[in-house]
Amino acid sequence: MRDHLLLFINGQRHEVSGRATFVSLSDYLRLHCGLIGTKIVCSEGDCGACTTLVGRPDFARGEFHYVPIDSCIQFLFQLDGTHVVTVEGLRRDGTLNSVQQAMVDCHGSQCGFCTPGFVMAMTGLLEEQETVDENELRTGLTGNLCRCTGYTPILEAGMKSNDAEHERLNELYPAAPLLAEFETLRNEPLALAAEWFGESHVAACPTTLAGALEFLAQHPTATIVAGATDIGVRINKSGRIPPAILDLNRIAELDHVGVGNEEITVGARATWTDILIAIANAPRVASRGKDHRLRPILSDLAEVNGHEVPEQAAPRRHRQDGLGEFARVIATFGARQIRNVGTIAGNIVNASPIADSLPFLYVMDAFIVIAGKDDMRVININDFYHGYKQTDLKPGELVMGVRIPRPKHDDLLRLYKVSRRRDLDISGFTAAVRMQLEGDAITQASIAFGAVGPTVLRAKQTERFLVGEPLTLETMQTAGDIAVSEVTPIDDVRGSAEYRRQLTRNVLLKFYHQTQGHLAPA
Amino acid sequence: MPSVGTTIPHDSAVGHVTGQAYYLDDVPSIAGELHVGFLPSPIACGALTGIDAAAARAIPGVVAVYTVADVPAHNMFGPLAADEPLLADGRLLYVGQPVAIVAAETREALHRGIAAVKLAYAEEPPLLSLEESIDQQRFLGVERRIARGGEIEAELAKAPHRLSGTFHIGGQEQFYLESQAAIAYPGEEGQMVVHSSTQNPTEIQTVVAEMLGVGFHDVVCVTKRMGGGFGGKETQAAIPAMMAALVARKTGRAARVIFDKDTDMCSTGKRHPYLVRWAVGFERDGRIHALKYEFFSNGGCSLDLSPSIMERTLLHADNAYYIPHADFRGRICFTNLPSNTAFRGFGGPQAMAATENIIESIAQHLALDAYDVRRANVYGVADRNVTPYGQIVEKNHLPEIFEQLAASSQYHARRAEIARRNASDPLTLRGLALTGMKFGISFTSKFLNQGNALVNLYTDGTVQVSTGGTEMGQGLNTKIRQMVADEFGLDPSRVRLMPTSTEKNNNTSPTAASASTDLNGAAAVQACQQIKRRLKKFAADRLSDKAEGLTPSPRHVVFAENVVYDRRRPEVRIAFGPLCDEARRERVDLGARGFFATPGIDFNRETGRGTPFFYYTQGAAAVEVAIDRFTGELTVARADLLIDIGRSINPGVDRGQIIGGFIQGMGWVTAEALEYNAQGALLSHSPTTYKIPAVTDVPIDFRLALFDNNDNVQNIRRSKAVGEPPLMLGIAAWTAVKNALSYANAEAATFLSLPATGEEILRCLSFQVPKHPGSPKTASHT
Repeated sequence: MRDHLLLFINGQRHEVSGRATFVSLSDYLRLHCGLIGTKIVCSEGDCGACTTLVGRPDFARGEFHYVPIDSCIQFLFQLDGTHVVTVEGLRRDGTLNSVQQAMVDCHGSQCGFCTPGFVMAMTGLLEEQETVDENELRTGLTGNLCRCTGYTPILEAGMKSNDAEHERLNELYPAAPLLAEFETLRNEPLALAAEWFGESHVAACPTTLAGALEFLAQHPTATIVAGATDIGVRINKSGRIPPAILDLNRIAELDHVGVGNEEITVGARATWTDILIAIANAPRVASRGKDHRLRPILSDLAEVNGHEVPEQAAPRRHRQDGLGEFARVIATFGARQIRNVGTIAGNIVNASPIADSLPFLYVMDAFIVIAGKDDMRVININDFYHGYKQTDLKPGELVMGVRIPRPKHDDLLRLYKVSRRRDLDISGFTAAVRMQLEGDAITQASIAFGAVGPTVLRAKQTERFLVGEPLTLETMQTAGDIAVSEVTPIDDVRGSAEYRRQLTRNVLLKFYHQTQGHLAPA
Repeated sequence: MPSVGTTIPHDSAVGHVTGQAYYLDDVPSIAGELHVGFLPSPIACGALTGIDAAAARAIPGVVAVYTVADVPAHNMFGPLAADEPLLADGRLLYVGQPVAIVAAETREALHRGIAAVKLAYAEEPPLLSLEESIDQQRFLGVERRIARGGEIEAELAKAPHRLSGTFHIGGQEQFYLESQAAIAYPGEEGQMVVHSSTQNPTEIQTVVAEMLGVGFHDVVCVTKRMGGGFGGKETQAAIPAMMAALVARKTGRAARVIFDKDTDMCSTGKRHPYLVRWAVGFERDGRIHALKYEFFSNGGCSLDLSPSIMERTLLHADNAYYIPHADFRGRICFTNLPSNTAFRGFGGPQAMAATENIIESIAQHLALDAYDVRRANVYGVADRNVTPYGQIVEKNHLPEIFEQLAASSQYHARRAEIARRNASDPLTLRGLALTGMKFGISFTSKFLNQGNALVNLYTDGTVQVSTGGTEMGQGLNTKIRQMVADEFGLDPSRVRLMPTSTEKNNNTSPTAASASTDLNGAAAVQACQQIKRRLKKFAADRLSDKAEGLTPSPRHVVFAENVVYDRRRPEVRIAFGPLCDEARRERVDLGARGFFATPGIDFNRETGRGTPFFYYTQGAAAVEVAIDRFTGELTVARADLLIDIGRSINPGVDRGQIIGGFIQGMGWVTAEALEYNAQGALLSHSPTTYKIPAVTDVPIDFRLALFDNNDNVQNIRRSKAVGEPPLMLGIAAWTAVKNALSYANAEAATFLSLPATGEEILRCLSFQVPKHPGSPKTASHT
């Protein structure tokens, strides 16, 4: 057991223990290191001003894999064995990197407060692929808000930086010496502790599931953290850090993502980015060349995020048994910085009725795999929630992963997320509609709605009505009436109850119009 | 090569991209510096009956808790009237109002300290909506009016067609990325230096001095830069600055106030929501005969700048259009909300949106294309060119701008295509609108139209410039750098703009009204010219040559390309640096203070007549939107902008202002909704719930052109102000939605409020009963 963590920041070695292991990365950078280029605006991962690059070791390749994250909702205890690069760390010998130079040349900054975040996000993009097109840039920058420029000069800077020589961070900061030190520590669990204001805090960072369950047995109410994209916000807004924290970030056995013929399996540590990559690569046997690792998925997302509203009857992307539909919803999940750390397990356990992924998981009858100290169990997600923010999890248990039946070839599947802004916004309404047809007749119907009650709900009566009916506009109008009687929305900051009732009705009509192009004769 | 007219980078660009450009919270703490915050009122209205800070003071690290009783002199402040308290004094006026200041050694102790202060109060029902305030006649200040022509009801009756309605316009959060911030450093003998993220250092100096009870000469306010302002730091930087100064005075220690985003959004004012009652009478061709307006703005708990903002509303209710018979009235409503304040456009946007709404309604009523209605009404060049307040719209280019943009955006062909597609597309509804913009440049309070600048030359030929203007990203310092460089014929890298300080520039106007380059740039140039006169005289002697018969002639001395020469013998050159060095040795004064006051403007607010504006910035925008018929979700598919900013001083800076302003305006009219609960607490108080445009909201097809114009000779370097005007080009996104809805059902379009959020659009599409925007909501699921 180590009582301190080890990380590097801009190539400098930092051994951290005690109170500082519980602070956010942005506070550590600004207050402990004096690296004030990382800016704080919202403290909730919704603006990207604090974007930094976190490099995680890829021991097999002998380098770090750098991704942009929001440093305000990432905590030091999550970062053992990483190399953090901030805006101050991009320059070599006082020369601007290609992104920085392009931002200067293109008037990509005005007030400058968001600028370091954009520089880091764009540098991160160029770490993952040699060049980006404008759609990929847009998709890659949804996590960064700017109030001055209207973004256009920033996009121009991004395009311009394509043309310049870009020095990769693995060249700027040779990985070997850092990795050598990390290699010896990678299987060593951490037990961090500190006391302040008379309150004691512990954080465990085990390297095995067994270690995690053991800690959980001793601290059954510990807060379990993977990406911290929800918990981080809660900590920042309340100013209070939970007394016991179990961090899953170093448990390699929870990293798994598999897309099989029958089901998709996802470990609790797998991030949304991991899932997107797995889906993108699933049908393609092509090699996963490192430089282009994200390329296929970024291109796909760019297409999804393209601004043209789909044409009538134009066949939508309908790839891979509806997996593409799932990827489309993931693509608008938070933003890239959030998807790089946030997990599907976190989305499930957070138990919000507006969680983006849940309606899909409901209509697919996904299974949640739960581990306790002595046994494992599996539960259908439709049975997992007992009420607002209440789950079936018992003290001492944790979610190990999810098994999602893969959408079938002939499933008609549509997912809906309605939010005030398309990207980087929390849903005001979500829905999933899945049907099987024989000829014109509906043989199976699964419909789930989110943000219309204390939990996501299956519209059971609507489903029962639909089975046996022909898929016509009239049928869907009647289904809309029934569905509206099944939901219990409230007025809140993201929309009125009336709006949500209208959406409940309308998505069923939209589903009808959207699927007309797909009703090809058998 | 003159620098003006070329695109050089923002003067802080390298600092921005490397993270070296510092903002207030980046300034290293000095020994003993305290973290300062405040306890906000939990209620919107009531009597404050007690404050118990004993528990807070007992927390380790909490140094002090201050209430109104601790304010040394004046607790009340305000730019137009001292009607707003720094700290609650008996009455609680809005949720988020500062009640007690806490100072602590650490941020953590500060948060615990604030949480431990206990309040006792008697809650009363708050006044929150415009309608209630109007019903109860709870107005702030007096009614203002601008009118001309015949008695309005009679003129309305004369028109062959009449329409009337009530239009609801939402507010808007400035959402500068750097929240309000200040650091105060106590000095000797009661002096105080306040570093503030403010657009108005003189105002900060004044309110801090009055709060402390010291002379203005004992307070210095310094502003290096802001991480955005947009009007939100014109007056409302005052409270954090006073809090820091109060703690610094009481403790003798430096004190730092950094609002977090939630606190900032909950406790500061925003763009005013408006309720607009209107009636219009018009001809068969859509020409407006008479227009009657009653504007009601939601002022919040105090005056702040609301009267000036309403004044600009009345002065912009014509927008780009000639109104023969006008009666525009405006009233400011009291509500239990933070005092609403300046925001880019300053009352202009609300008026112009209201008028574009009416034009769109006229077009729909007459089944005319709205473009034809706009063309029929647009200000003329030779006639129909006098505003309702009596100013002639000189050098009017609006008709040309309309025609150029209609052609370049293929407006008419696209309208036809949209009509065709809307008739057959079951999923998507499209709309297109082309709206005009005319924005008056100058403060409408005449005395504010002045600027001063300090220019200092050093003996290596480099220059420091200080003006009363503040840099918030808009590129003011970059433009002044270019102008000063050109005056001395220097490369801009030899000119450095210094932090704004009331020590160097006194009695300054706020950096506002789009006029800061005009005022401060002209003042800086005026200072340069004083120095140049001295240097020319000195250089003329040095360049003269008795043997050659070249007599000293200052008027022949030229400053160019970092050297000085006599035009009559250009091959003999003196480098600028050595010239300055020699000039100093000959005791020539190498510093000057410049002053500029805008000539020829005046406005009588009692009669509502005059020439308030030095000139107008004009433009137009054509925006196409696509709406999901089932969810109401909106995509701005294409935007074409055409704007006349005269001769651009820095096209890169100006382009950024135009695009950024347009996107900000687009956000206001489409997405940015302020939601409150029934108790008057803001629910949308962070970017999680308040949605400014993101990068994917920028139209994929986005075209910007500058209208070629060289005739703005009265202004510095023939330029025009660019800060605020482009925001109002964003209004076209809203009118495009209204146009789209008219294809679904003419009735649907008539109820559309602003902003046209997805919810608002779907409400209109579903023919639901109009709700009032801002009707209370409850807290949300997360």
